Amino acid sequence: MSHLANLQAEFQAYLMDDVKGAGFIKSVIDDKKVGAKKRLGIYFDAYRLRIIEALATAYPQLKALLGDVLFNKVAREYIDAYPSTYLNLRWYGSQMRGHLQETLAQHPIAAEMANFEWTLSLAFDAEDVPELSLQDLATIPPESWVDLSFEFQPAIKIIQTSWNTIAVWQALEAEETPPKPKQESIYQSWLIWRKNFNSQFRLITEMEVTALNMAVMGATFGEICASLEVEMDEEQAMVTAAQYLASWLENGLVCKVSLIKFAS
Amino acid sequence: MPMLILTTYQTFTPLFEIYMRNNLPSLGFGLGLRTEHYNTILETKPKVDWFEALSENYMVPGGLPLNFLDRIRADYPVVMHGVSLSIGSTEPFDQAYLKDLKKLADRIQPAWISDHLCWTGVHGQNIHDLLPLPYTEETAKHIAERVNTVQDYLGRQILLENVSSYASYVDSTMTEWEFISLICEQTDCLLLLDVNNIYVSSYNHNFDAKDFIDGVPQHRVQQIHLAGHQNNGDYIIDTHDAPVIDPVWDLYSYAISKLGEVSTMIERDDNMPELDVLVQELQIARHLSANVLKEAA
Ligand SMILES: [Fe+2]
Repeated sequence: MSHLANLQAEFQAYLMDDVKGAGFIKSVIDDKKVGAKKRLGIYFDAYRLRIIEALATAYPQLKALLGDVLFNKVAREYIDAYPSTYLNLRWYGSQMRGHLQETLAQHPIAAEMANFEWTLSLAFDAEDVPELSLQDLATIPPESWVDLSFEFQPAIKIIQTSWNTIAVWQALEAEETPPKPKQESIYQSWLIWRKNFNSQFRLITEMEVTALNMAVMGATFGEICASLEVEMDEEQAMVTAAQYLASWLENGLVCKVSLIKFAS
Repeated sequence: MPMLILTTYQTFTPLFEIYMRNNLPSLGFGLGLRTEHYNTILETKPKVDWFEALSENYMVPGGLPLNFLDRIRADYPVVMHGVSLSIGSTEPFDQAYLKDLKKLADRIQPAWISDHLCWTGVHGQNIHDLLPLPYTEETAKHIAERVNTVQDYLGRQILLENVSSYASYVDSTMTEWEFISLICEQTDCLLLLDVNNIYVSSYNHNFDAKDFIDGVPQHRVQQIHLAGHQNNGDYIIDTHDAPVIDPVWDLYSYAISKLGEVSTMIERDDNMPELDVLVQELQIARHLSANVLKEAA
């Protein structure tokens, strides 16, 4: 190993653990003004403070939920558990949900909050794609609709919550006193996407989740209708599918439609 | 007569070198582009000559930050400034990073691209800090090879910025400015001189800040950074959370007296004031620079 490689390995080891890595102190100039240990301590502290700040930026309402003291403790444990492998600090923090499931298992709402905030942030800077409106579909004759297949903006995600996580998040976001965390009787699904450059979310029924998942996978409007017929009659299925499609278009989720025609 | 020739030669050398400054003209007086100011910039079109965008903030798939950058770019020249190149690392470059950097440059068409003369991590890990390098020939040679790789890949000269440092190594065999000069010679790269960082490092490591400015290859300085810091008594931390202090302004005037006109900007990252306040602070740089250049003329 070159001198430089050795120095960098030792410096980094010191930043991870200043006790185990203490041998590195002798590589740094120790003068009367500031000792070598204190000099390295500046880097040791800055490493943690910078990452804690980045995590606080990524998880503002998680921080509000936990309070500064607990959030900082969580963040410090996170730094030790997941040394950053990202060149862009933006992506650091992606493991927070799993980290909280392990370390704050007694407060499941924390992991759910982290998952929600992270997903919002992913939607925020997801790839830009065109947005189709209901009018764009007006030119397609009704009899062709069964053969329509759709492409969706990459920002779309669906997450589940078992606690009143979103209500708590909304209150914290509005700087109001949040409701007491409580577990819901059944889990809820939330659709997250981006519209007008801002992350959006709304409650979504399980039936719509199924329909949306099918559509994302490339199913045609006709196939979506057919799948809904398991739950309702043909006409009702058609109306329901049309309502879903109208809301997807209104939400700006759809970026492309194509007619899937099979040669007969 | 020989005396006269010598005098003439000396008078014209700096001018020639400034011209040789890569044929990249000075952009004037700029500011670091910060999210807090996006809307004000678009709405008020402030009297700022150019903006410096932090590359990594825009190395994302899409969304609002890139949209703002596109719109601001339509009104102002922009330069790109990165923190993650890790030019001094002993790890191979992250190819995806270089690719994304180039993609952003293709989109934004920056006047130039800069990053820091430092390393940021090894073993696939990132410390997200600008860590100091030992000033040795071995290190300079290693970095020069990497600068050449990046310049070849991007198809342009890059600017390297001197960082604020809090530690120096027993292994170092030369000064920071000798180290910088060595890398420049081997790469034909350009410099981003952070005058505040010079001040901070000179304070932390007991050298004369003017020696630094005198010691770097002056014709390669394409850009200057100014910023505020936090003085803790026995050492200074480079915090970018306060106005530029007078000794740093003095050092800036000294730098301009040596370098001639150089694209200058203020970096502010924390304790963020209204854009107006920074535009006002930038006026100080304009005045100091103009005064120094007028005196020299
Ligand atoms: Fe700087």
